[in-house]
Amino acid sequence: MGTSLSKLTEKPNIWPWLLLSPLGIYMLIFFVVPLADVAIMSFTEPRPTLANYTKVLTGALYQRVFLNTFLTAAFVTACCLLVGYPLAYLMAHSKPRTAMLILLLVTMSFWTSFLVRTYSWMVLLGNNGPLIAFLQMIGIESPPQLLFTRFSSTLAMIHILAPYMIMNIYSVMKKIDPALIRSAESLGAKGFSLFRHVYLPLTAPGIANGSVLVFVICLGFYVTPVLLGSPREQMIAGLIGHQIEEFLAFGLGSAMAMVLLAVTLVILTIYHRRFGLDKLWG
Amino acid sequence: MPARKTFLMPDRRTFLKTAGAAVSASLAAPYIARGQENVLYVNTWGGPWEEAAKAHLIDPFTAETGIQVKTVSPVSFAKLAQQVNTGIYEFDVTTLGAGELVRANDAGIIEELEAPYEGGLFENGIASHAFATVLAWRSDKYKEAPKTWADFWNMQKFPGGRSLQRYAARVLPIALLADGVAVKDLYPLDVDRAFASLDKIKPHIRVWWTAGAQSTQILRDGEVDMIGIWHGRFFEAEKARAPVAMTWDQGEIDRSYWVVAKDTPNLENAKKFVQFATSAKPLAGFCKAADYGPLNPASGEFVTAEEAKRMPTSPENYSRTFEQDMANFGADPAEIAERFEEWIAS
Repeated sequence: MGTSLSKLTEKPNIWPWLLLSPLGIYMLIFFVVPLADVAIMSFTEPRPTLANYTKVLTGALYQRVFLNTFLTAAFVTACCLLVGYPLAYLMAHSKPRTAMLILLLVTMSFWTSFLVRTYSWMVLLGNNGPLIAFLQMIGIESPPQLLFTRFSSTLAMIHILAPYMIMNIYSVMKKIDPALIRSAESLGAKGFSLFRHVYLPLTAPGIANGSVLVFVICLGFYVTPVLLGSPREQMIAGLIGHQIEEFLAFGLGSAMAMVLLAVTLVILTIYHRRFGLDKLWG
Repeated sequence: MPARKTFLMPDRRTFLKTAGAAVSASLAAPYIARGQENVLYVNTWGGPWEEAAKAHLIDPFTAETGIQVKTVSPVSFAKLAQQVNTGIYEFDVTTLGAGELVRANDAGIIEELEAPYEGGLFENGIASHAFATVLAWRSDKYKEAPKTWADFWNMQKFPGGRSLQRYAARVLPIALLADGVAVKDLYPLDVDRAFASLDKIKPHIRVWWTAGAQSTQILRDGEVDMIGIWHGRFFEAEKARAPVAMTWDQGEIDRSYWVVAKDTPNLENAKKFVQFATSAKPLAGFCKAADYGPLNPASGEFVTAEEAKRMPTSPENYSRTFEQDMANFGADPAEIAERFEEWIAS
């Protein structure tokens, strides 16, 4: 046993690489090559130039949309955390039946196609929807417009992304050794102090994982803001799609995609330095 | 008894060879098929559009010529351009609006064609059918019917939510009409005046719709009270029994053109198809099924007076509408589109 283990660590074993090669080749052909193509196009379309990047980085429209995208993603992440943390706590620390029920509800929402979830928000928030009807019932003469606003698109994005946050925090909470809490209590920690100095730090990896996942996914959201949001508050993915489909501006669209990719990589790098990327998958 | 090789009882080696050949043949089939004589790939809008095209254009075409047609959807102008750059063809023919057609022809990504009927050729596209962007509204909301785009802009008289298509080339002429420009003076467009007019309606536009189905949905569900909508999409909302009404007055006509992708390997089939699809009877059938107006005058013979009422090209309706004039647009459509996008986002 001892010898075979040391053998494994001494000699480079080609088997894992061999087993990985189909996936590697697949990723090379269908991910790395197209991505490289996009990178090249961002410099060469319509002619060899840096103009695409100049435009993306200095144009007022693009700056505003990038800023809006990052602010929206940050806000959605914060809301997911506010909603997700207590729910994850409830799941981790209630009776198995209750925990099961909440878990079921969260995963059911997670498994439902996000297009379907987007459309259900259209129905719920629409002019003839139940929410407006309720507001009118309780005597609000002209209820505010809910659909096609920043409110409706943000709400839907929080709904769609919250499960990522909840599952990440839940898995970390579930692993916390109850003995740690008991010993903290025996040492005099209680109430908010116990939470602030013991429980919260223990769950920090879950918060970080969930936040990074939600933030990064939210950066690339396309359909939900287009269908539910206000025309003035676009997200970058919608603008990229529009550039390519409507204007055939492959170069400009590619440059926008590369900038988005670069910023996302920077965020992931910071996260990796701080927490380690391998923890992202539990 | 010596083992005999037969088709039914092949020995193992022959079987493997044959099976291998069959598998590789079926894997390679799409590529082989691309080079064959009797195939054509048609780009469609999918959904009801494709059903109508299948029933009236594609199936009769196959029956007449023996050419197998496969459909690819949705319509993508970007893909048409990329095909020529990459040399990989997903479709051979597609339909374009006038704005895209001019750009495609300038960019040299479509084949040169000949007119199949008199007046049928524009910028190497073959005029097929027309649709109109019409003024439609919720009849449960307004007692008095709006008549013009000026009424659409009139928030005092007709308060409520509005929607227009997120498409500069269609919206700018409408904005000018609303501002009091006469149809005959519309082109070339006074772009600055159009944007000034749009500034006035902007706060009331709840949705800049981007997909046809979306426009039907927001009118049908009452998310907006007045909308600039394609006439076929209006009929869908009407069919769903929503309280809606429309007018042909100041309806804005767009023409759709069949084009052939430049350098496609199925060039001859593609040319045959666009000729067939714009011939009198198939085109009439397609237009009736998909709620368009045929642009080939010979199709009129196959359209009844009742059916013509639903078409923007019938003489009575046509006289109340106006046409997009892409040849005399007055500005670079791409630049306008970009300005429009920036304007929407600001």
